[in-house]
Amino acid sequence: MNHKLLMETATLAGEIMLVNGAEIYRVEDTINRILSTAHLETTEAFVMSTGIVATLDGMGHENITIVKRITQRGMNLNRVATVNTISRKYCNDEISLEEANKQLKSINGNQFHPVVRSLSVLVIVSSFALLLGGGVWEVLGAGLTGLLLILSMNIGNKIGAIPFLQDLFSSAVIAIGAVLLKRYLPIELNMDLVIIGCIMPLVPGAAITNAIRDTLQGDYMAGLAKMLEAFVNAASIALGVGIGIAIMGGV
Amino acid sequence: MMVFQVVGAFFAVFGFSIYLDVPKKYLRYCGYIGAIGWFVYLMAVKKMNVLMATFLATATIAFISHICARIFKAPVTVFLIAGIITLVPGAGMYRTVSQILLGNRSLAMEYLQETIQIAGMIALAIFIIDAIFRMIQAKKWKEKLPVKHK
Repeated sequence: MNHKLLMETATLAGEIMLVNGAEIYRVEDTINRILSTAHLETTEAFVMSTGIVATLDGMGHENITIVKRITQRGMNLNRVATVNTISRKYCNDEISLEEANKQLKSINGNQFHPVVRSLSVLVIVSSFALLLGGGVWEVLGAGLTGLLLILSMNIGNKIGAIPFLQDLFSSAVIAIGAVLLKRYLPIELNMDLVIIGCIMPLVPGAAITNAIRDTLQGDYMAGLAKMLEAFVNAASIALGVGIGIAIMGGV
Repeated sequence: MMVFQVVGAFFAVFGFSIYLDVPKKYLRYCGYIGAIGWFVYLMAVKKMNVLMATFLATATIAFISHICARIFKAPVTVFLIAGIITLVPGAGMYRTVSQILLGNRSLAMEYLQETIQIAGMIALAIFIIDAIFRMIQAKKWKEKLPVKHK
């Protein structure tokens, strides 16, 4: 067995999972399972939210250690699920190591076109206005404000601003849009529902979930880091909405 | 009215799943999970307070997510992250801020407290369901553990 390739495959699988928002324990578990197919005495993986360290050692082999620094972080559950499937297949001897490596390397991109993703934001905001008890006007208002949200998100991505500022900017735009709708449209509009619906795509639901699951696993560092991320994210949204409303001169 | 809200929950979670790039074949299951969770919440919130309702709804969502993960052999997060989004206290966050801006400090504090408590309840529910499934899994694992080569 090619141990170098095994190591490479294992850490690549770990890297893809970590970058795309899997929990720490799942990343460690995946790396360990792939490495354990070598049946060597020492296989160890240590993963943090910012990097991966893995080592492979045994009788008659040189020990191999890989350190990988992770700088980007996002959320793409399809990639996590795909890596999971590949590693499961490999560990069950359904595919060879080379095949697994090749399949892992070919993972990239989104399943959905950017336009579809933007449309999904519209669906989210309108549906939230509906599920929180809004009527026709709230749903439409949230949809309109959602357009502004998409626009501001795209601008933020283009500029490459840090996440904190992006959320701040987007939520300020939402608040301004909602206040404008309330003020200049001759309809009975519940502005609260419009704003709440529109901030939902920005709220740190994923960070909260992962923080809890990491903490339960005993990965306290990762859990704390995610919790902090959730707090900062929430604060930036709150601040943004506050700024937006303040700019428009109050509710 | 409630039918509309549950339908809204389905589409909200469905949209969120697309946004998070959940594998295509699982999209509708995420939607169902979200709708069921919101239905449980709406039923529960009539009989008890918001915190208990959030707990029950999150526990339901986490439970179904774990079952789905086992059936489809996919990570639990694929179903869970999108599913619980309807319960994340975005409304509480907004109300806290708007009350601060209106100058109602005590009301703002009340909303802030409620927001944190709701987040805590979501955490607790996921925690408990995770722990239960972990116990079941740990048992199965020990039986299946391969013999190590020397």
